[in-house]
Amino acid sequence: MLEFVSNNISTINFILINIALGLSIYITLATGLLSLSNAGFMAIGAYTVAIISTQSNIPFIVGLMAAIALGVALALPIGMLVLGLRDIYLAIATLGFGEIVRIIALNGDKVVHLFSQNKELIIFNGAEGITLTYRTPTIMLGLPDTTWPILIYVIVIVYILATLHNSRFGRILASIRQDETAASTLGVNVVHYKLLAFVLGSAIAAGAGALSAPIVRVIDPHNYVFSRGVDILAYAVLGGMTHWVGPILGATVLTSLPEALRFLKDQRDIVNGLIIMLSIIYLPAGLADPRIWGLFKRLVSFPKRERVS
Amino acid sequence: MKARLFLFPMIFMLLLVCFTAIDVSSATAESASSLSGEIPIGAVWSMTGAAAVYGSTQKNASELAVEQINQSGMLGAAKIKLITEDDRSTKEGAITAFDKLIKEYKVVAILGPTLSNSAKAADPIAQAAKVPVLAVSNTAAGIVEMGDFIFRDSLPEMLVQPNTIKETKNKLGYKKVAILYGNDDVFTKGGYDAFKKALNDQGIQILATETFNKNDSDFSAQLTKIKGLKPDAIIVSALAEEAAGIMSQGRQLGIPESVPFIGGNGFNSPKLAQLAGPAAEGAITGAAWLISNDTPGNKAFVEAYNKKYGANPDQFAAQAYTGVYILANAIKTAGSSNPTAIRDAMAKIRDMDTVLGKFSFDARREPVHPPVVQIIKNGKFVLYK
Repeated sequence: MLEFVSNNISTINFILINIALGLSIYITLATGLLSLSNAGFMAIGAYTVAIISTQSNIPFIVGLMAAIALGVALALPIGMLVLGLRDIYLAIATLGFGEIVRIIALNGDKVVHLFSQNKELIIFNGAEGITLTYRTPTIMLGLPDTTWPILIYVIVIVYILATLHNSRFGRILASIRQDETAASTLGVNVVHYKLLAFVLGSAIAAGAGALSAPIVRVIDPHNYVFSRGVDILAYAVLGGMTHWVGPILGATVLTSLPEALRFLKDQRDIVNGLIIMLSIIYLPAGLADPRIWGLFKRLVSFPKRERVS
Repeated sequence: MKARLFLFPMIFMLLLVCFTAIDVSSATAESASSLSGEIPIGAVWSMTGAAAVYGSTQKNASELAVEQINQSGMLGAAKIKLITEDDRSTKEGAITAFDKLIKEYKVVAILGPTLSNSAKAADPIAQAAKVPVLAVSNTAAGIVEMGDFIFRDSLPEMLVQPNTIKETKNKLGYKKVAILYGNDDVFTKGGYDAFKKALNDQGIQILATETFNKNDSDFSAQLTKIKGLKPDAIIVSALAEEAAGIMSQGRQLGIPESVPFIGGNGFNSPKLAQLAGPAAEGAITGAAWLISNDTPGNKAFVEAYNKKYGANPDQFAAQAYTGVYILANAIKTAGSSNPTAIRDAMAKIRDMDTVLGKFSFDARREPVHPPVVQIIKNGKFVLYK
């Protein structure tokens, strides 16, 4: 088991990061918002950590906090601007935001040169991106010290989402998803809760981006192109959007399968596509479909009932 | 209560999926201690994703070279076992592929990865594990600087372009040029940096520097501005698709044929002449390899490649093919499949006969071999004279 973990540690790292990203889009989807800005916020988080750690000696944990704070600070005004839009229009607006972030990262140094005296200053380094120095991770309690922060981060998010799921807040989000108008007639401040969900999702994505920086190490704009946003959406679509277990399942399956199917060489992406297609046709509510789990539960609890009778 | 009942089977299933999914492929590669049995060598190519065009020819060429080496008995009783992995043109893919090759397959050396930024993300893993890496297509700066186990046989743009500028300047005698480059791609941006430096060193005036993005299709604004400045030549650092668009639109806008397009490594694709048609005539580019090269074994390589895959090899194929031969040569000289011994033998390679010409590594593990300048004539690359 330990050997298995150490042999596949980079795959496990990426699974955990993708789970965090899947959860970040889940919270907006659970509110009925199709927001595709997560790749953009991930870029903000990753660049924040990368710039802080290359330009100063501030410890990583402070960089992570700064990344999440910046994510919240940007998500608030942007959320106020775009959350008046619905459905596909919201998707287009948030997609635009992701592209703006990418293009700023690409041309960031030109902007810096406008305001700075030092015309040779390189911070974003355009298409080549920022390369963090490699450090051999030390093993702590069986896991490298680069994996622990991500694992803790995912556990904290899952704990928060699990607590929220059956709380007043969680039920309000579900009510907005199911019928926005009906929810507002029940006295729910729809605008307020939508903004809250958007900010929460963006903060989670920024944190995930920040945590991915020491692992990917090369932070360039190409990491955060449109297809990254689509990948994140796929985790939630495959897993299901009604329960927080959904994106965890989706991200785990979609990240580990290509590794397991390495023997299929360049054909292995077909399997991912096939799985998403089949799940959309036969399991429209995702892998975490409450009906499947209801069935599973009945099978498991069946002998118990017999014992009672 | 209901929620909890619903939760536990889910978490259980998650763990099950997670652990069964990654565990199915476990390989048994015995690492040979002397020159016998199978010597596992890893190769990481971008076979899917954005760089798949380059990765597929690299895969073909490396497999051809391994086949030839194993048939020829170059390594005596030993055979090379090439383990090819796809990195999906992503850094994450390259990192997991390196991890798998080193920890699970216990490879003695790694070829690749295709892209420079993937190399920057993944190579330190091999450096830390003391497994030599031979890059065959990374042309950006900062590759061999990552450590003493990192080599490359692909001439960086910083070595190729000064030669291109020098040769073309001597023959065409141009004094002022305009530059057009893609600024969102490491490859084309690196080419631009190299050209800029070479032009400054040669004292050539740069009239204008214009940029575009990958997948752009309209370059008329940039080209109109350049046309108005009347440059003697136009330097283009672009991948084949964009370069073709720039050339055909440039000629349509009336940039005279006496003003040549001079390009970087991105021009080195047979696709350029196909896409741009007559507009590509006379385009000049610096390269590491030319199909009509008169180098040892080049003709046989082109023929064997053509026979096996039904297409002509390009520069990337030639460099990957050479890479396998360099590794085999190092293994043979070292007389061992110990990664550190291979590294030491590779660092000592001087004047080796390859399809790229006489090949040496310098003290920084950078490649040394003569670059060529080529020109498109009748839709084909020929040596620029």
